[in-house]
Amino acid sequence: MAHKAKPSRAEVCIIGAGASGAAAAKVLTGKGVRVVALERGPWRRKETFGGDELANINRYNLWPDPSINPRTARTSGTEHAHLEMFCPVPQMVGGGTVHWQGWLPRFTPNDFRLRTIAGEVKGATLADWPISYEELEPYYAKVEWAFGVSGQAGANKFEGPRSVGYPCPPLPVSRYAEKFNKGCDALGWNAFPTPQAALSRAFNGREPTVISAFAQQHGDPTGTRSSALNVFVPDAVRTGLCDLRAECYVRELTLDRDGAVMSAIYQDVDGDLVEQEADVFILACGALESARLLLLSRSGRFPNGLANTNDLVGRNVTFHEYSAAVGLFDDPIYAWAGGGYVSASSFQFYEHDERRGHVSGGHLACAGVGIPLPINWRLPDAPAWGAAAKQNDRDNFNHSMAVAMVLHDMPRHGNRVDLDDAVKDAWGLPAARITLTPHDNDLKQGRFLIDRAADILEAAGSKKVQKVYAQRVTGNCSHQHGTLRMGVDPATSVLDKYCRAHEVDNLYAVDGSPFPTATGANPTLTIMANAWRVADRIADDRGSSARK
Amino acid sequence: MDEAVDGEHDISLPSSEQTVIKRKRKDMSHQDHPRFFDPHQRATVAAAMARIIPTDDVPGASEAGCVDFIDLYLSGIDHIYAKPDGSGFETLSGVTAESWTRRIGILRQKYIEGIGVLDAEARKRFDAAFFQLDAEQQDEILTALEHSGSQPACAGAPPGESPALQQTLTETDLEFLPLLIMHTRQGFYCDPIYGGNKNRVGWDAIGFPGPTSLMEVFTGRFTALPWFAEGEEEKYREANRGA
Repeated sequence: MAHKAKPSRAEVCIIGAGASGAAAAKVLTGKGVRVVALERGPWRRKETFGGDELANINRYNLWPDPSINPRTARTSGTEHAHLEMFCPVPQMVGGGTVHWQGWLPRFTPNDFRLRTIAGEVKGATLADWPISYEELEPYYAKVEWAFGVSGQAGANKFEGPRSVGYPCPPLPVSRYAEKFNKGCDALGWNAFPTPQAALSRAFNGREPTVISAFAQQHGDPTGTRSSALNVFVPDAVRTGLCDLRAECYVRELTLDRDGAVMSAIYQDVDGDLVEQEADVFILACGALESARLLLLSRSGRFPNGLANTNDLVGRNVTFHEYSAAVGLFDDPIYAWAGGGYVSASSFQFYEHDERRGHVSGGHLACAGVGIPLPINWRLPDAPAWGAAAKQNDRDNFNHSMAVAMVLHDMPRHGNRVDLDDAVKDAWGLPAARITLTPHDNDLKQGRFLIDRAADILEAAGSKKVQKVYAQRVTGNCSHQHGTLRMGVDPATSVLDKYCRAHEVDNLYAVDGSPFPTATGANPTLTIMANAWRVADRIADDRGSSARK
Repeated sequence: MDEAVDGEHDISLPSSEQTVIKRKRKDMSHQDHPRFFDPHQRATVAAAMARIIPTDDVPGASEAGCVDFIDLYLSGIDHIYAKPDGSGFETLSGVTAESWTRRIGILRQKYIEGIGVLDAEARKRFDAAFFQLDAEQQDEILTALEHSGSQPACAGAPPGESPALQQTLTETDLEFLPLLIMHTRQGFYCDPIYGGNKNRVGWDAIGFPGPTSLMEVFTGRFTALPWFAEGEEEKYREANRGA
C-alpha cells in the first residue's frame, strides 16, 4: 500500500456517480452536506463522445469491456457459470444515462402494491413496496423538472395523479411514432408521447436536444441530452461541496467497533489504495455491483458479506427483458432518425389483469431497428449473408420499425448475484456471477406483450409483422433491481423504507437494488426520484442532529 | 513510423505466427495503412467478403473496402477508437491497451485458422485456393461452413434460438464465419474513418443520409430532423429560434 495522505473524513461518501449517485450528490450538496463521490470509471466530458457505432456499440468505448470487467452467468446453482456480459451498464460518471435514449415513464400506483393486487405467485417472491406512489410523487416531479423531461401530462391514462405537468412539451411525433399511434387508435388503445430525457425546447439555460441519428447507446457530443452527467453532476459540482473522484474503485467497506461502516477502501487512478472515512455511506453502483461490494466486504461480524446475515444480499434480482415485434411499411419511416426510440408509448397492457392468465404487464413503445445502422441488429428473418441479405438491408432499412416491450419479470429467491469462485476482474476481485431461471410468468407475459405489439403494427398497416418472443432473460435492457430489497420486515428485506440497511445504521443504497419488484417500466426515473427522497431524508436527519 | 508496419508490434502470437507476421509486414510496408494480412490472406478474406455483401447494381464489400477495414483493425491497437471529432485515433493505455492487445491477438488467430479452413475446403472440393474459385464455388464453401458451425451465422444466440434483441456481442466468442460476417457488415456500414464504407457506398446502398464526417456529429451540425418528423423541422426551428 502506497503512502498517500489519507483524505479527510467526509460527511457522506457516495459510491458510484451514475444516475442515482449523481442525484444523491446533487440533493445532499444542495442542502449543504459535504460529499465525496467515488466513481470507478472515468469522468468523461462531452468532447470524448462521437457518432460512431463501432466504437460505442462494438468496441466497448461505452459498454464495459468484458475482459476487464467480466461477469458470469448460469441458470442454476449446480451449473458451472460461463463468461457472459450479463446486464452491462457503462461504468463511468453518469453511468447508463451517458448512452441512453432516456424513456422516463413514472411507475403507476399499483406498482407499489403488486403483492396485494396479484396475491401470492408460486415460485416468485412478490412483495409490496414499503413506500407508496403518493410518497414518491413529489420526487418524480423534482427529477422531471431538474431534467427538463419532455412529455405530456395526462396523456397516459394509466398514470397516477401528478402534482405538476412536464416542464417541456413532447418531442415532435416521429414518423415511426405516427405508425404506433395510428395502430393504437385503430384498436382503441391509449397511446401517449413517451416522456423523454431530451429537451424539446430550451430549458433552464440549456439548449434543445439535437435530433441526431446517434442517440440510443451513443454518448452525446453536444451535451444537450438530459443525463446525470449533463444535469446532476454539474449541479452538485457547482455547490463546491462535491468532491467527485473518478477512476477510484471501491474494493471493500470496513466496519468500526460499533458495527457501523467506517471507511471505503479504494484503488485510485495510480493503483494506490486509499481509505475514505465518512459518517454515512451510500451505495449507488447499480444493483449488481452494489450487492457485489457488500459481498466483498466480509468481517467477523458479517462473515457472509456486509448486512447479509439473512442471506438476502444479491437475491430477488430482476432485469426486465427487451424484445419486440418488427414491422415493415411501404412508406419510409426512417426509424433511426432521432435515435429510433422517440416518441410513442402505451400502458394499455401495463396494469395487472387476472383475466390474461398471467401476472402484471409492461410498457410498449415504438423503437428503431438499427442503432442507427444495421450492424448490430437486423430483421429477425434476414439471411445472414449473400445477395438476399444485402437486398433485405436495401429494401427495409428505411421501412422497418419495432414495437418493443419492457418485460416485468418476477423476483425469485433463487435468482441472484453472488461472487464467482473462479473469474476475477482486472483488479483481482471476484466477478459478479448471475444465477437465473426465468419464472414461467415472465415467458407468458412476454408472449402476450409481443402479441399486442404485433397487433399495433398490423393495425397501423404494416405489410409484414414478425414477432421475437423473449425465450430467456438475458439482461439486455441494462436494467437491474432487487438485490437489496427494501421492506418493513428485517427478516425478509435488506433495507428499510428509507433504503437504510436494517443491520447497519449508516449504510444506504439508492440505485435499483432497493426495488422489491421490477415493474414493467423503465426504472431510471424512479431510481433517481427514490435517490432524491433518500438523500433528502439523510440531509434532514443531519440537520436535526446538528441542531440537537 | 508506425510500429505495426515494421513488424515490431508486441501482440503476442505463437512464435511460428510471429515469424510469418514479421516477414509479411515488410512486404506490406509500402501500404498507406498498417496491415495484418499477407497478400494471400488478404485475397482470401476479400473474396469471402465479396460473397457476403456482393456487388450488384450498387457497390458491395469490394467497393466499400471491407478488407481494408478488417486489415486495419487487425493491424494492432492503434486504430481501435477514432477520435470523436475524426481527427485521428485514440492512443490506448493501461488495462485498456492490455485488453485490446489480447483481443486482437485472439482475432488474428481466428482469421489465420479460418482462412486455412476456407483454403482446405477449396482444395478438397475444387483443387484450388479459395480466392481462385468462382463465385458459385465460393458460395458453396461458405454455405457448408455455415451449416457445419455450431453458432448461427447471424450470431448472438445459442443454437436453435433466435438472438435476443439489442444483445451486445463478444467478438472473441464468435466462430469464424459469424465473425467474418459481422466484420463485413461493420466494414460496409461503419464510419469511413475506419477504412471501410469508402465514399459512403454502404450508406448509399441502404439510403442512410449519414454525416459527411465524424466532425459533423461532434459539433451538432448533423441533424436527422428532416427524416425524423413530417413538417416538424420548421416548427422546431421556429420554436427554438434564438435558443
